[in-house]
Amino acid sequence: MIQEENFEHILAKKYMRTELLPHAFCSGCGIGIIERMILMAFEELGEEEWKRTVFVSGIGCSGWTPLYFRSDVAHTLHGRALPFAIGLKLAKPELNVVVVMGDGDSMAIGGNHLIHAARRNIGLTAIIVTNMVYSLTGGQMAPTTPEGAITQTTPYGNIEPNFDLIELMKAAGATYLARWTTYHVIQAKNSIKKAVKHKGFSVVEIVSQCPTFMGRYVLNKSDPRDIMQWFKENSIPVSVAATKSPEELKGKIIVGEFLHKPEVMEYTERLKLLRERVGRR
Amino acid sequence: MTGYDALVEGAITAGCRFFAGYPITPSTEIAERMSNRLPKVGGIFIQMEDELASIIAIIGASWGGLKAMTATSGPGFSLMQEGLGFAIITETPIVLVDVMRGGPSTGLVTLPSQGDVMQARWGSHGDYAIIALAPWSSQEMFDLAIKAFNLAEIYRNPVIILSDEVVAHIREPIKIPPPDEIEVVERRKPSVPPTEFIPYLPEPGEWVSPMPAFGEGYNLLVESVMHDEFGHRIGMGQPIAERKIKRIYYKIEKNVEKIAMYEEKGLEDADVAIVTYGSSARTSLKAMKDARNLGIKVGMLRLITLWPFYDKLIEELSSKVKSIVVPEMNMGKIVREVERASKGQCKILSVPKVGGVLHNPDEILSAVKLAAR
Amino acid sequence: MSTAKVRQIVVSDKLCKACYLCIWACPWGVLEIKEERNWRGIKKPYAAKIEQCRACRLCELYCPDFAIQVVVDEEEERKILEVEERYERKWFDRLKKRDEIISKGVWWL
Repeated sequence: MIQEENFEHILAKKYMRTELLPHAFCSGCGIGIIERMILMAFEELGEEEWKRTVFVSGIGCSGWTPLYFRSDVAHTLHGRALPFAIGLKLAKPELNVVVVMGDGDSMAIGGNHLIHAARRNIGLTAIIVTNMVYSLTGGQMAPTTPEGAITQTTPYGNIEPNFDLIELMKAAGATYLARWTTYHVIQAKNSIKKAVKHKGFSVVEIVSQCPTFMGRYVLNKSDPRDIMQWFKENSIPVSVAATKSPEELKGKIIVGEFLHKPEVMEYTERLKLLRERVGRR
Repeated sequence: MTGYDALVEGAITAGCRFFAGYPITPSTEIAERMSNRLPKVGGIFIQMEDELASIIAIIGASWGGLKAMTATSGPGFSLMQEGLGFAIITETPIVLVDVMRGGPSTGLVTLPSQGDVMQARWGSHGDYAIIALAPWSSQEMFDLAIKAFNLAEIYRNPVIILSDEVVAHIREPIKIPPPDEIEVVERRKPSVPPTEFIPYLPEPGEWVSPMPAFGEGYNLLVESVMHDEFGHRIGMGQPIAERKIKRIYYKIEKNVEKIAMYEEKGLEDADVAIVTYGSSARTSLKAMKDARNLGIKVGMLRLITLWPFYDKLIEELSSKVKSIVVPEMNMGKIVREVERASKGQCKILSVPKVGGVLHNPDEILSAVKLAAR
Repeated sequence: MSTAKVRQIVVSDKLCKACYLCIWACPWGVLEIKEERNWRGIKKPYAAKIEQCRACRLCELYCPDFAIQVVVDEEEERKILEVEERYERKWFDRLKKRDEIISKGVWWL
């Protein structure tokens, strides 16, 4: 029989820095489930892929995600995870670079870098953790906060419309797009596997629960079990959503794989062709 | 060659294989020549979407194992301050070229100035130290480019090359020595396996530890939050933070003697000394010769390393001469450091010149005459 | 004599933060909340009806803290100890080495 005092799950023992556990996230936070999705994906992809993987993250609650992994990790500035990942990928194209960012980190201050990385179709995997608020600083409004929500900086209700990240990335030129919630653990794990294997710029947006701020302010539910139930009841798969009208889709989360274009050439391949062309002259 | 070409050739000789930049007058030619030369030598050039992305991308490439560089001017340099702080706390070697132009703000776009010399030292937030070099000719653009990469690797710190528009655009013959006479310092790699390597705790007597690259199995933690010796973040903990801040501050400030470079002309019997740097030194040379012809005993001290500032040198100089003249193309910045370091042992005269032109030698000459009385 | 199909459901004292997502996830009602608090001050979940467990591992899937694992047999227990030996233990030496060096004082202060 195993002692329960200092026990950790077998995935944590294999892949995580156990000297830093228990991790610093709130009780019931969705980011712990996202860490599990990533580790399960790499457990199935194999040890060779894990040895070639590095993580880059921004600032925010989601920015602490890869710090607990036993692999090369870079915790960069607010909004600047993507340029760091671009520099790293160009210097060592054989690495798998996984970028974990929050919604405010990637869409507000890092918005410029997001659309240019998508335009170049550079081989990164961006996992964007959407919890509809800026959670680390205390629950302020984010570009994904629903209209009318009350947060720390919108005490009279949010008057700004919000982004649809998938439409933005489609227009910018990303080549693999998917959105899931923390309720869909197995589907998101499969999407992450596909995104890591995909050569171009892939975005997996995962809507995650924040019981402390998003739950209490936006949804009026402070128990993580209630938020998970809300995710389960309000997610619509993309094939079903195509048959519904916009009024029926208001306030719902559309989940699924939206786009997969493996034929578009990736940036480091274009660079290689350029170098061969120049070297021959 | 122009100053630009010499800088690019010096960087490539030193081993630079990554450049990420953004076009800005007057440093656009550096990016253009890099985009031409780097693919031919197996390097990578990328034009990023803004200066913020440029500096973070070169830090990423440096952790990928390449020597990396970027070039900008005044407005871009202001944008890069946050990235500079990131490179300093993670101890990443990079080289940043700032071709100073008339400021503030968009300013005098195509005209020179020396207005960023204090920003190079104090521009980013927090406590840190930095190395800044000021070339005055095309030959020095070549030599200092190599020296900048070497210093960056030895001290694991960003190094700033403070050129100005005149030095960058000037066309002069340069002499490139044969490869075996050029000293290039390569990055130190760790000699212990990953389970024994502590990234931010150097051996006794050394200031920095060796630097592995990403993807080599060392499980590095490159962290912008204040961290301990492994890179794990610390929320509170004054002793740990004090150890780190003092080490990254002292590694430059206590090694001034090894880092500082300067050039002396005619100071053996001088009554008046001209302390200057960059393009102002070119004008000061003419003023010095004119003054010597008039019988005034003038010497010149040209600072090549602006930061860390060599206090002891100025203190000794000010005990030997009657007065010091400091001509600069700004409202008087390095003169403050000279005043501080001289400890009141002699008179200090500032000769500021703003508006985007070099000094007239007569202006410096009249200041020298005033100082000699 | 137990007819349980699984050997043990381990819930870690060190890691569990009492969010009870595992109880919400379990379709068979195996887990319930303990009455007493442990040394960290929380009421951990425990396997009240372990004979109902079919090892679907949904509780493991939804635990954000890596705190719960369904150990079906001795083979799995042996695998856990093997992973601990191969992957985890070797990284603890450098922590001790750092503490030794710091306690003697660093040379630049």
